[in-house]
Amino acid sequence: MIRSALLGVVLLSTLVAPTRAQVKVERGLKLDADGSIRITNLVGSVHVTGWDRDSVSLHGSLPKGDKLFMGGGPRGMKLFIEPLNDRNPQPSRLDVMVPAGAKVLVKTATAEIEVSGVTGELDLYVVGGKIRVSGKPAELNAEAIDGDIEVNGKPGWLRAKSASGNVTLNGSSPDASISTVSGGITVNAMPAENRGKFERAKIETVTGAIQFNADIEKGAAIDFDTHSGVMEIAIPRLTGADFEIASIAGTISNELNYSRPVKGRYGRGSELVMTNSSGGARVAIRSFKGPVTLRIAK
Amino acid sequence: MTDDTIDEGKLRDLMNEVAALPTSIEPPADAWAKIRAEIEASGNPDRGDTDDIDLLSKRRHRIAFWQRPIFLAAAALLLVAGSSALTAIAIGRRGASTSRRAAQAPIAPFATDSNNGPASLAQFTVVESDYLRAVNDLSATLESERGSLSPETIAKLRESIQVIDAAILEARNALAADPANKTLIRMLANSYEQKVDLLKRTTEMARG
Repeated sequence: MIRSALLGVVLLSTLVAPTRAQVKVERGLKLDADGSIRITNLVGSVHVTGWDRDSVSLHGSLPKGDKLFMGGGPRGMKLFIEPLNDRNPQPSRLDVMVPAGAKVLVKTATAEIEVSGVTGELDLYVVGGKIRVSGKPAELNAEAIDGDIEVNGKPGWLRAKSASGNVTLNGSSPDASISTVSGGITVNAMPAENRGKFERAKIETVTGAIQFNADIEKGAAIDFDTHSGVMEIAIPRLTGADFEIASIAGTISNELNYSRPVKGRYGRGSELVMTNSSGGARVAIRSFKGPVTLRIAK
Repeated sequence: MTDDTIDEGKLRDLMNEVAALPTSIEPPADAWAKIRAEIEASGNPDRGDTDDIDLLSKRRHRIAFWQRPIFLAAAALLLVAGSSALTAIAIGRRGASTSRRAAQAPIAPFATDSNNGPASLAQFTVVESDYLRAVNDLSATLESERGSLSPETIAKLRESIQVIDAAILEARNALAADPANKTLIRMLANSYEQKVDLLKRTTEMARG
């Protein structure tokens, strides 16, 4: 029994063994309050936090043999890891403090990216890692191939794209575009007093589900598109909005008011054109065959 | 790729063959004689037998406004302009992000401005050829950058492309059965834009 347990421990340590010893790094450089910083780390993690100083501070660890480059001037700087073996890079951890109003670009392969407290512009790219942002960046562009994206806050401008990863927005943006292929999209901005409203938004998937639970401004323009994803759109009961909902071969269920969908062209699918309250905002919902449900936000 | 994907090569060949067809052909030698005989048989007391110009003038008045050359030329120009604009939208969505943000361009120009988009399957095929060209170019570029992507990422990308292609095929078949359905055209364009965008993003990430 004990021998089996020991064998298990040895096997487990063998599996973990390829990770090389880590070396701690600490660096600091001056950067203007609205300066730019570009960070590249293929594997591991990048945590960026905004602070009220005109400088960048790095704490991290990288595999022994990997090289850290950090340089530039007060207007812009670069920070990247050069792996010892670029065919098989080992994980590095970078914790970076930046001026809150800085423009930050982070690029990784599978490393997770976490950003908080930055009010400047964010450009974040991962292939398979996860992106997590919290706060109120002026602009946020987050892109992944198969990684998840999670935003907690109110970006002034938001573009979030993933293919098979999920995108979650706990909050709102006056100008938002969120798209996935098979990943799901979840938007939760209730209560609106705390989490804000949407003015312009385009939310689209191919097969991923869309769950939208938020308030919209009067005069807003919101588009939802999917091919076969399940759509659940919830807005406050008294929201003034003009709806155009079309499903080519799917169903439409309206739990927001008493309007009922009619059969679509050639008796196929469903359509619902209606005004809720006194109208005002324009909401277009298009689905090829995914079911659409419209309901009251909670 | 699997059977789920569109055979872009075949579609491109078909389009090349269509493009190679002559835009006009000479009528058979005896065609005019037959037409004249038909007109004479229908009886038209106002027309002298040799007054061909007068005949053409009268017939021109009978042609519907939308069949007039000037209208057709304008329609063709609009179609070309619309196609180019859509291509620019599809290709340039990620370009010059700073200027795009500053300009606060509409998020979904195609979806929100449907009056300017193609109104039928026939019109959409012009736009579609632009999308296919973009897809081919990007696929070739991505193939050359393939070494910088992990096998897992390539597999995930293929899965996503197959998902989009299946949606394109389904929407296109539905559009063939209902060629003037603007909602379907918009959905189809959306799917193509998703495909172009995904390929473009992956290519850029592969380049590092």
